[in-house]
Amino acid sequence: MTMNRRTFLKTGAGASGGLMLSLSLPGCAGVQTGYEPETGEWKPDAWLELTRDDEIYFTLARVEMGQGTYTGLTTLIAEELEVAPAAITPRFAPAAPEYRNPLYKLQLTGGSTSIATSWEPLRTAGASAREMLKMAAARIWKVEADACTVRDGHVVHPNGIDSLRYGQLVELASKEVIRGDVALKPRSEWKLIGKQGNRLDARAKSTGTAEYGIDVELPGQVYAVVTRSPRYGGRVGSFNGDEVRAMPGVVDVVEIERGIAVVADKYWRARKAQAALSVNWDFSDALSLSTSDVFEGYRKAADEDPGESERSEGDFDDVAEAASTVLSAEYAQPYLAHATLEPMNATAWYQGDRAEVWAPTQAPDLGQIAVARVTDLSPGDVTIHTTFLGGGFGRRLTQDFIEEAAAVSFKIGKPVKVIWSREEDTRHDLFRPAMLHRMKASLADGELTGWHHQIVGPQILDWYVRNAAPAQYPWAPKFLYNSLGSAGLMFEGIATPKDMSAIEGAIEYPYGVGSIDIRHTHTDPGVPVTWWRSVGFSHNGFAVETFMDELAHEAGEDPYQFRRKLLANEPRHQEVLNRAAKMAGWGEPLAEGRARGIALFQSFGTYVAQVVEAGIEHGEIRVYRVSCAVDCGQVVNPRIVEDQIEGGILFGLTAALYGEITLEQGEVQQSNFHDYRLIRQYERPEVTVDIVDSEAAPTGVGEPGVPPVIPALGNALFALTGQRQRSLPLTADA
Amino acid sequence: MAVSLTVNGVERKLDVEGDTPLLWVVRDELGLKGTKFGCGAGLCGACTVHLNGQPVRSCSTPVELAAGAQVTTIEGLGDQDRLHALQAAWIEQGVPQCGYCQSGQIMSAAHLLASNPSPSRDDIVTAMTGNICRCGTYSRIIAAVESVAAGSRPDQQEGA
Repeated sequence: MTMNRRTFLKTGAGASGGLMLSLSLPGCAGVQTGYEPETGEWKPDAWLELTRDDEIYFTLARVEMGQGTYTGLTTLIAEELEVAPAAITPRFAPAAPEYRNPLYKLQLTGGSTSIATSWEPLRTAGASAREMLKMAAARIWKVEADACTVRDGHVVHPNGIDSLRYGQLVELASKEVIRGDVALKPRSEWKLIGKQGNRLDARAKSTGTAEYGIDVELPGQVYAVVTRSPRYGGRVGSFNGDEVRAMPGVVDVVEIERGIAVVADKYWRARKAQAALSVNWDFSDALSLSTSDVFEGYRKAADEDPGESERSEGDFDDVAEAASTVLSAEYAQPYLAHATLEPMNATAWYQGDRAEVWAPTQAPDLGQIAVARVTDLSPGDVTIHTTFLGGGFGRRLTQDFIEEAAAVSFKIGKPVKVIWSREEDTRHDLFRPAMLHRMKASLADGELTGWHHQIVGPQILDWYVRNAAPAQYPWAPKFLYNSLGSAGLMFEGIATPKDMSAIEGAIEYPYGVGSIDIRHTHTDPGVPVTWWRSVGFSHNGFAVETFMDELAHEAGEDPYQFRRKLLANEPRHQEVLNRAAKMAGWGEPLAEGRARGIALFQSFGTYVAQVVEAGIEHGEIRVYRVSCAVDCGQVVNPRIVEDQIEGGILFGLTAALYGEITLEQGEVQQSNFHDYRLIRQYERPEVTVDIVDSEAAPTGVGEPGVPPVIPALGNALFALTGQRQRSLPLTADA
Repeated sequence: MAVSLTVNGVERKLDVEGDTPLLWVVRDELGLKGTKFGCGAGLCGACTVHLNGQPVRSCSTPVELAAGAQVTTIEGLGDQDRLHALQAAWIEQGVPQCGYCQSGQIMSAAHLLASNPSPSRDDIVTAMTGNICRCGTYSRIIAAVESVAAGSRPDQQEGA
């Protein structure tokens, strides 16, 4: 097979900064469907399995990491199948082509896409099974299928009296063929969608019985901990393996690509032995910069390279010349860690001709690649068992934790569980990139006439493509993995897909301004980065909505009214903005020492406006209230929407108040929750979420709560103190 | 060393190194996986269990300090047929998102209500501040605790 670079990674722009690769996969094995007479199981498609005992299983292809797919996607099936959601047992999907995210052509859970991309396919799957069951019953009763109805797991005879259970019909239904399109239930007949519904995983998660990756145990399993280079890119020089091997319970000490693994019969013994491990690192290719160097490099790059134009309307220089005021400002945001409460972990079992992995992963098919990379297996030889995830936030899109477990199991031939400590999880994260933003805007007689935004920083896909590329090209021999992986860096502009991660949220600037110029100066200091809840929107939101606030004050206008007037052609933006302002009592007097700030940001197709009420007490910023309006199209589960938005708000506030990873000569300075603080119960503001009633196609809610709260808080602090903070995290003594 | 302790009402005799954190004894020696590892430094509360009725961070409690003691984990709080009132409230209020911190949250709340059946909002916030939830379920936690504290439920409730 000949390959040319252009078809290597032939891609298009994906939604929400994700990758969208346009090649379809040749010769992928499908999921077996049909009726199995011995077991009485009918699989009408890759998602559903109905048994003659009336069990209904649903294969959940979007992982559950708190965002509610386990409940929300099951609800879509239940609605059309006419059963209670609790009557369906969700099962986590293995890696298989059928389960890929259609937006990414990879089996990813991310980008707030699960409901949006499942909305039609899953309802159709449920409706198809329902129609086939009706057809089977109609054949038995010798009536028209359309005259039959379904109710609570039964098909009901047109006489309204007789009925057959689904389980009685599965074998016959499996022989039915649907011709043409299946009609979905009209909105007026929905019993579940849009209604309040309990989370289906709440019981398991309230009784300690939900199984996370860290809970997996296999017979004969050993535990490994890995000592990694304190500076990214460092390599093992030498280490005192014999000494550590003699420690109690130690099974082996092995070198893997990412460091030295200490393997023991018990986790604690592995940790104790690890303390005796001494590694001499070769830092010749390791990261050596400090955070100050990163920003210095960004400023230099920004000075030298105006960046690629990502959106251009009108001529900024022309309007600036005609303007009465030109305002400019520079914003800076730090690296951020994900801090999932379940630290990275995976259990791998290499068995010679195959391997099995149990892991909390957001991308099972990339987990297969990670195993193949460090063993003599092909991706198809690897089975990934996905568990519940103790948080994801983008961290578990990268499969380094699976790679480590597989590498150790390959070396020692036993099932191995690798658990990262919190300190390791923080220091060896892949971070939300540090970013720099240079903003300019022109005001003519108080009117905003020009907007110029230069974004400076790396692109995430350059880092991710190492894992993703081989999954896209299963025909690529393994020796090419590393070159596939570095394709993004090697063939910049030729081979990489359009990466939105740096510019998303900036290029969708919604305000009606004559001249808009958005640019990206691409510069990568070599610090590992990845997606982090709301990705590019997280930093662009702060830059755009803080600068809008600066402009409102410069123009002498109320920040809410200033925005509202510029949104004349954006009804959905306007609606959420108005609602948030109204909820918060915008403009009404506040208690002494408190102030409000407002911000509005669309991300992942969802419109979110927030008003933050904040103050400073005893030298600490206090957030009292957050009033939030959200338009995410059709709501499937209002309670989960509220929870996701509120969770996003607290996630954003954590970043705004505390979030900062710093590097000192290549070493991450933070380690645990004492120096990488997360918001706690006593800091919780009162959060009110108002959801716009909408029949528009559903969009995501896992991430859109995050971006606006950061500028909204900063804007409140400006209103309080008169001091503008242009870098994060925010401080009380600015 | 030989250690004997009573976990969820059952006496267990173990041979483990005395400095092993109670967390790993409970999880890996006794197979009770509901208690979670979050930080290893007593900072997040995911590993909270009751030691002689007091909430402790099991990640930072050497098992030798628990010798002879009564340990209660999330598995011993209720059972699948008869949930603890807080567990029923957690389900009813739909508290968990990722769920990883919730065993620890519930154990902290259970101790609060055992020592103070009618806590004020401030009492609840204070008692729950040691438990981090990265997903941000804090307001549902308050609602769930208050729904039990208000006395609207019996102490024990049939499984929801």
